Amino acid sequence: MAADLDLVGLLEGRRIVVVAGAGGVGKTTVSAALALGLASRGARVAVVTIDPARRLASALGIEHLGDTPHRVDPARVEAAGMPMAGTLDALQLDPQATFDRLVEREAPDDAARDKILGNRVYRHLSGAVAGAQEFMAVERLHELVDSGDYDVVVLDTPPARNALDFLDAPERMTRFVEGRGLRLLLGPRSGAGRTGWRALQAGGHMVMSVVERLTGAQLLTDISEFLQSFDGMYQGFSERASAVRLLLESDSTRFVVVTGPRPEPVGEAIALWRRLRDDRYPLGAVVVNRVHPEPGGGGSAPDGLAALLAGAGAPDPEGLAARAAEALSAARARAAADRHEMASLSGALSAPPIATVPALEDDPVEVAGLARVTRELEGR
Amino acid sequence: MAGPPLTERRLAFVLGKGGVGKTTVAAALALGLADAGHRTLLLEVAGERRTEALFGMPPSVDVPVEVRPGLHALSVDADRATQEYLTIQLKVRPLVEMMARSRAFHQVTQAAPGLSELVTLGKIWDLATAVQGGTPVWDRLVVDAPATGHGIALLEVAGNVRDLAGSGPIRDQADAIERVIRHPAATGVVVVARPEDLAVTEAVEAVQSMRAKDLPVTCAVVNGVRTSPFGAAEVDALRAVAGRPGAPDADRAAALAALAVADGAVHDAREVAGLGRDAGIPVAVLPVVPDLSPASGGLEALSAALMSDPAIGGGDGG
Repeated sequence: MAADLDLVGLLEGRRIVVVAGAGGVGKTTVSAALALGLASRGARVAVVTIDPARRLASALGIEHLGDTPHRVDPARVEAAGMPMAGTLDALQLDPQATFDRLVEREAPDDAARDKILGNRVYRHLSGAVAGAQEFMAVERLHELVDSGDYDVVVLDTPPARNALDFLDAPERMTRFVEGRGLRLLLGPRSGAGRTGWRALQAGGHMVMSVVERLTGAQLLTDISEFLQSFDGMYQGFSERASAVRLLLESDSTRFVVVTGPRPEPVGEAIALWRRLRDDRYPLGAVVVNRVHPEPGGGGSAPDGLAALLAGAGAPDPEGLAARAAEALSAARARAAADRHEMASLSGALSAPPIATVPALEDDPVEVAGLARVTRELEGR
Repeated sequence: MAGPPLTERRLAFVLGKGGVGKTTVAAALALGLADAGHRTLLLEVAGERRTEALFGMPPSVDVPVEVRPGLHALSVDADRATQEYLTIQLKVRPLVEMMARSRAFHQVTQAAPGLSELVTLGKIWDLATAVQGGTPVWDRLVVDAPATGHGIALLEVAGNVRDLAGSGPIRDQADAIERVIRHPAATGVVVVARPEDLAVTEAVEAVQSMRAKDLPVTCAVVNGVRTSPFGAAEVDALRAVAGRPGAPDADRAAALAALAVADGAVHDAREVAGLGRDAGIPVAVLPVVPDLSPASGGLEALSAALMSDPAIGGGDGG
């Protein structure tokens, strides 16, 4: 097993910790455990989860995880044997609420704001558009960092393949705002689109007439009206997106990649780490979650077990001992397979910092369980 | 359960969070349906292209590939499906090619709410309704949907588009798709989970959410459920040995390993029971299969277990 990396210590002093990885590897638990460790050492911490995580809420002693921050009771943390020098707030991303606030903040006047919030495309858009959730995560991150209420924000990202989408979200937004597609949708009526519209070749008109033939005029009118109502706000969106992108690339940020000791998530973690490295994002460490520990006995056979079981009153001690020996071989094989996966991870990425968390029967359901994961991540 | 068992519905959507084994369950179900004599198409829409590898075949996007007798597999690519859709609707190839090349068009389709989901669903629908020589091309279609949130979005998109679009071919198609998707005799939704606290909680929430939206959620499959060969009296003896001071390390380790197996089985059985109780749907159980590589027979074993489970076949499976 890898040496005792203190991942919490490694992350101290950063303003943003982004936790990324494949689905089902325990990202949310690792995010919360890291946030708990940082808060324990004195930081004012916010942990933001994207997926509904009712278990996490109960692990933190919070009734309902929502869009507004909830403070974790320090007494609960101290009762779990962990000092609490700082504060820990938890919240769950609500894309709709975030989008609404963004509109309220950026709208030039009340009429424009009400027009957007009342548009029927708007309600569908913020939920349905691919990437809207990722963009809102970035926006919420901006809000929290900007608020000055927190020393560090720990962000639990959407599952894997979309972890890359998450990084692309600000750029996609900017591209869309500056792109021709938006101008086409805005049409010649809009102030922002007028010059662009005239400059378009005949192809552009044809694109729109084809789209209209497919969708019916009404949908296109609604979308166009919706996008027009944002006119004048795109610049603000785009600027905020760029600001977050800069922050994510800066030394104030660390990325933590979470994986499990199986070929598939390890492959995904390797791809993610390389992608982050190639794009010059600041890398923190890889966390290998749910690692099977090596059973005792140092690899020797349980030769005396049948006799011991007979002494304990087992009905068929020989048969039982044979089945128990099989269970031991299987556990040893699992531990060996996990070591193998960790070695291939370490080899593929030229020995990145690796922290490990042993397999638990279930994800933690109380602060004490979470504190145990924190201690593992601290290398204790 | 309203409507017929899953095996009798033409269109099955397999939904679940990432990492629960959704692709494996979809493949096992499709394999079982094919073995039962149905001409079956397995569709992967999450863009991960893992299905063919399960059968030891290279990935394919263009045409269905026969991966086993009577079983074809196909990855649905949203971009390609959009082009196909345009070809059908516009009937003019140069126009389609112009559209496909146009960056503006791609930006418009990205901005249009749920268009890629709609096109994907439209492609599934086309395949489900394809007829050749008076008989349907496919008896059964199994869709390996994207991870839960998105999977439900895929099922809802037709209704959303129908409500949003006032008129035109998209609205009409959305309406037709919507009626099939919600028809419990035609379509079934399977929710896949692992026997873990969090995964079960999320599966229950997914079932409740789909039920509230009138989607035909049919059954759940719990993947990777551990069983134990140790009886109650044996567990007592193992505990005595494990707790006995001075027992040799290897003997204690074997007793502890055996107890972990027994405890794991109890734990998983409790999760399975909890899912059935809280979601109020039949739950099928799949064993742990360590090797799913194509020649190992692992997928065949899962398929046999799945098809003989009363939650899938409605009690007369086998």
